[in-house]
Amino acid sequence: MWSIIREAFDKTLLVAKAYGILHITNSYLCTVALAYGPSMIPTINLTGDLILAERISPRLRKVGVGDIVIVRSPVVPSRVVTKRVVGMEGDRVTYLLDPHNSDEVRSTVVPRGHVWIQGDNIYNSKDSRDFGPVPYALVEAKLLWRVWPPKDFGPMQHIAR
Amino acid sequence: MKLLSYIKQWKSAAREAVAQASIAAQFLSFIHITDAYICSTTLVQGPSMLPTLNYSGDVVLIEHLSHRLGKLEPGDILLVRSPVDPKKIVAKRIVGMEGDRVTYLTEPSYSESSRTVLVPKGHVWIQGDNVYASADSRYFGAVPYGLIQGRAFLRVWPIGDFGYL
Repeated sequence: MWSIIREAFDKTLLVAKAYGILHITNSYLCTVALAYGPSMIPTINLTGDLILAERISPRLRKVGVGDIVIVRSPVVPSRVVTKRVVGMEGDRVTYLLDPHNSDEVRSTVVPRGHVWIQGDNIYNSKDSRDFGPVPYALVEAKLLWRVWPPKDFGPMQHIAR
Repeated sequence: MKLLSYIKQWKSAAREAVAQASIAAQFLSFIHITDAYICSTTLVQGPSMLPTLNYSGDVVLIEHLSHRLGKLEPGDILLVRSPVDPKKIVAKRIVGMEGDRVTYLTEPSYSESSRTVLVPKGHVWIQGDNVYASADSRYFGAVPYGLIQGRAFLRVWPIGDFGYL
């Protein structure tokens, strides 16, 4: 009977170790993200793309304008959003207030320690135009390489098409 | 032939090295997961939380469970990543949760003028206990919940001040 318990314990330990390695890789190195929704059309499909995202660049402060990043939402903390960085701290950002209806633009300077993120599809995207600049520490990962669907396999575009 | 025997020796040494390294790696990752997700210790120093925390530095225990479970309340001392300097982590007290109205003195050293603010959704309002020397939400605004790193609940050093915060 003890041998069964020992075997169960060993197997559980093995699973725990494997999970621990997977978790550390996911949190600190590289993870696969499912990005979906209309806010990054045409860069990311509406129904969802699987994209490799790396977590090293944000820690090394190597995120810049043009990068697509995964950011923890400042409005709903349990959610993460995928947007493109349009301005770093100190940059002046000019944006359309209401692209459907008018040409009115507004211009702001991104404050210290913050980034300005926008979806590529400005007509249907909740981003910094709605919730303001986002503190840099909320940037969690940078999208690197799309792995699914196969016809879109390849690196993520650095600049919006 | 000698080369072959050298390779054989090296192979067994390498295997043992990998085995030892993997034990060390497992131990370190266990420590790390406990440190990042359950409980850790930090040295907190500075004037902004006087008299609660000493100026020259206190070692406090931080728990990382409450903020993930959404169990934070006004009055909790938090460790928060600064919204103006992502490399810095600050310790402040929650004064208001999302939806609360917070009234604060705009210039406590000079005047009685105060301002009232509504804390937006997904944010918390944090202030240092020492309002005269604290850069907090009165300076950088409400802080998004995602910047919270943990809650300080027990001071372990100096021993004379050991106790719950």
